[in-house]
Amino acid sequence: MRLDEIDRELQRVDRAPASVIDRLELGPAEAALLEAIVAEPALDGAPDNAALPWPSARRRRLDLLGLAGTAAAAMAVAVLLLFGGGASKSPSEAYGAEVVRFAESTPLLLLEGPGWRVQNVTQQKNGDGSMEFVTGKPIPYERLTISGRDKTRLYVSGMFPPAVRQRKVELNWRRGSVPEWVATVRQMPHPHGQLWVKAPVLETRADVDTRAESYVNQGGPGNRQMNAYWSEGGYLLEMRAAVPDLAAFEERLGWLTKVDSETWLEAMPAKVVKAADHDTVVREMLKGIPVPATFDPKRIPDEGVTTNRYQVGATVAGTVSCLWFRQWGQARRTGDEQAEAEAVKAMGTSRRWPILREMNADGDYPETIWQDSAAMPSGFWDWGPHHWRLLPHAEGLGCARWGIPVLPWKQRRQNERAEASGG
Amino acid sequence: MARNTAEEALPRELAEVRFSQLYRDHEREILRYALRRSPDPEDAADAVAETFLVAWRRLGDVPLGDEARLWLYATARRVLANHRRGVGRRTRLAERLREEVRRQLPAQPNPERRGVLEALAGMNDGDRELLMLVGWEGLTPSQAGRVLGISAMTARTRLHRARRRLRARLSDEAGRPTSEIEVGEAQ
Repeated sequence: MRLDEIDRELQRVDRAPASVIDRLELGPAEAALLEAIVAEPALDGAPDNAALPWPSARRRRLDLLGLAGTAAAAMAVAVLLLFGGGASKSPSEAYGAEVVRFAESTPLLLLEGPGWRVQNVTQQKNGDGSMEFVTGKPIPYERLTISGRDKTRLYVSGMFPPAVRQRKVELNWRRGSVPEWVATVRQMPHPHGQLWVKAPVLETRADVDTRAESYVNQGGPGNRQMNAYWSEGGYLLEMRAAVPDLAAFEERLGWLTKVDSETWLEAMPAKVVKAADHDTVVREMLKGIPVPATFDPKRIPDEGVTTNRYQVGATVAGTVSCLWFRQWGQARRTGDEQAEAEAVKAMGTSRRWPILREMNADGDYPETIWQDSAAMPSGFWDWGPHHWRLLPHAEGLGCARWGIPVLPWKQRRQNERAEASGG
Repeated sequence: MARNTAEEALPRELAEVRFSQLYRDHEREILRYALRRSPDPEDAADAVAETFLVAWRRLGDVPLGDEARLWLYATARRVLANHRRGVGRRTRLAERLREEVRRQLPAQPNPERRGVLEALAGMNDGDRELLMLVGWEGLTPSQAGRVLGISAMTARTRLHRARRRLRARLSDEAGRPTSEIEVGEAQ
């Protein structure tokens, strides 16, 4: 076969040739899709993968992509903190210079309201970031689903009740211009109309969108979504809160306080998966997970910075899974039925791994492991009528990134690089 | 890729006109692209919906002219990658398209095709996508390079190597020697 015949060979196996697809009678369905898309809020210039204009709990999905080694993920996470109690040691002792630098890369703002605390902090490599402040019980990830539409207006389901939503304030920051952003926001759908006011915040005045609801069935008298935008230290800042009225929103704006890095870090609760605790947390997460003979806790990557349980959990469960998938692949290639059966049996327990069950509430990494595990007996990952080899899919768990490539060619490349660096 | 010169958000009416044109010009191409890579027609319909939703939300970033098609392919590629990693989702936007595609398209591939598809599936992601963009979407190596974010020169080099690898895999499977195949090799 000549090389230029390769294309013809591929064309012969084209599942979707124009001659077939262009004859499909899809007109009404395509028109419906077009209509539905233009009814969605248009946000020119929004980042990839972002259905919402600002960082939010969706970030956890982006983190997952990072673990899977995608380009989108490469940009996603620099440092995450997820907290629970109160710090006792000095920040430099408790967190190290790296975390102090992280603190200093934020606007160093705290919401110093009575009974309010930091629940989550996220910062991307490009400097964008967000914080969640809550009062009362922790507020979990709110999964919203578009449940209907009325011309250009959307309805949503899955939203927490006002009593819960009003216990949370989000603070977001990124580089940008307030007037330009406000102009963009003004073009976005406001199902309850638009009412903008000015309100004092820190040393300046913010533009406040007092009807910032995105959905028809969101908000109303006594429960308003309000967003404020202002400029602070070179950042474009946004504070988002569900509040009973403007007075309550202005009160929350008044609680924002500029602090130094030590004060900011002291406000971080102590239950941080920081470098010093990393090994303990890993040991706890490994409970209930069968590990192969090739496993060593040192294989679990420790990035040396503070991170959250979902991220650490993914590295723990992912590392063990990659080792099992690699053993499985090698066993299939060499005909070692015992090693193959051992790997299949071990991964067959993955639905019961406590850390995956915990993570399942926050993202889809566990489901990916479970799907790959279920594909082990056949060796193929069936997706609809298609029949993909399992290992390339399992590689997507992030195996190569953690130094455990499961594909033979990636293993060879790893060995060659190791030899080259050793020589 | 050339960018739209509009830095600010387009007025809604203009955006709708431009997006409708973009959709009419390229929707079937993106559907074909997605069907070739996602064996479940319903997933392909979802990928089309998500790809155009991204285009709608980032209309100012979508290049003009034929470059728009390449931008859409690159976006669809990321959408499908998300699906494969389990982070895609069924979207209500694509309900009718899903139904129609499922109803009108046969679900099972021809078993005769499996050898080539499996050889393709066994290749690394970059090689496979390059081969498919050229072989199925009919792009030039330079255009495929733009979709993949690599230079035209790199795309040509990789494509040549990828074709050789695929040929070797097919020859292995057919039990034929590859040593005689070098004659008349395409440059």
